[in-house]
Amino acid sequence: MHEFSITSQIVRSVLKEAEKRGAKGVLEVHLIIGKLTLLGIEQVKFSYKVLIEDTILEGSKLLIKRRSGKVKCERCGYEGPIKFKVDPISHISFPTLTCLKCNSTVTILEGRECTIKSIKLVM
Amino acid sequence: MSRVIRAEEGEIFNIELAEDLLKANEVLAMKNKNLLSKHGIKAIDVMGSVGTGKTSLIGQIVYKLKENYRIAVIAGDLTTTIDADIIAKYGAEVIQINTGKECHLDANLIKKALKMIDLNKIDLLFIENVGNLICPAEFPLGSDKRIVIISLTEGPYMVVKHPFIFMKTDVVVINKMDLVDVLGVDVNKLEGDVNRVNPKANVVKVSCRNGMGIMNVIKALEL
Repeated sequence: MHEFSITSQIVRSVLKEAEKRGAKGVLEVHLIIGKLTLLGIEQVKFSYKVLIEDTILEGSKLLIKRRSGKVKCERCGYEGPIKFKVDPISHISFPTLTCLKCNSTVTILEGRECTIKSIKLVM
Repeated sequence: MSRVIRAEEGEIFNIELAEDLLKANEVLAMKNKNLLSKHGIKAIDVMGSVGTGKTSLIGQIVYKLKENYRIAVIAGDLTTTIDADIIAKYGAEVIQINTGKECHLDANLIKKALKMIDLNKIDLLFIENVGNLICPAEFPLGSDKRIVIISLTEGPYMVVKHPFIFMKTDVVVINKMDLVDVLGVDVNKLEGDVNRVNPKANVVKVSCRNGMGIMNVIKALEL
């Protein structure tokens, strides 16, 4: 959720950076969106198209890379992918915050980011 | 003479930014948590859909604990001071945040609210989040514990339909148990749904209306 407001922030950030450097246009924006954020990628792409109209980002490509969830278990030291469970009633596979090895609660190391990795400018 | 590199017209520059937009709230939440910790204040984030009993639950707990703790409450809603007024009657200092159109509280709003409380004069803080089971899951506020409250009047599917908020909670309260016979909702199944999503969460059955189970919530929160 909140794709429109996050994408607004992305566009604002890129505009600020581009203006700071006196760029004439933006060709590409590279994002990393973690799989543990609840952002809908299609909505981000759609919001982006709408928000860049009439700005120097118009015509730019939005390239999104996904990052998988990575967790750490304080009890046994496990570091690695998150454990998914298939709910027997709804049959939805959803992430859990329990350790793959010892079932203790884990902390999230990766997968909750929405990062502007890099941008390509035309000067 | 210093040498300056300037871009030529039409030249393409690749800029590495590494700017994480979601990190801002988490950093602020951590700052809130540290500030509260420094003052020895335990903070509880209370979430749940509209009408499930967040205000009633906080009110009941405040009433039972006001001799043991100096309590403040931050109440969040889009509009009105209705919740703040209700809780104030139970005996706590209340700050109301009106979020306008925003569907959740965030760490920044809590930071502002904390400035309006004399932190030396309280040791327990409840934050009543906006009535919404989806968005608050994504926005930590800096609390020590999180409660999600669901009500039997919502039917049997609230947990399976909103797994993410239950994954990140410490206590799940099932409210309106006084209506269990009338509504015919399978409470054991609801408890089972919570256990599957989050085996660590403590499930407590209550009726905020008649006070049943409130002491168990207090115990589950380690208060």
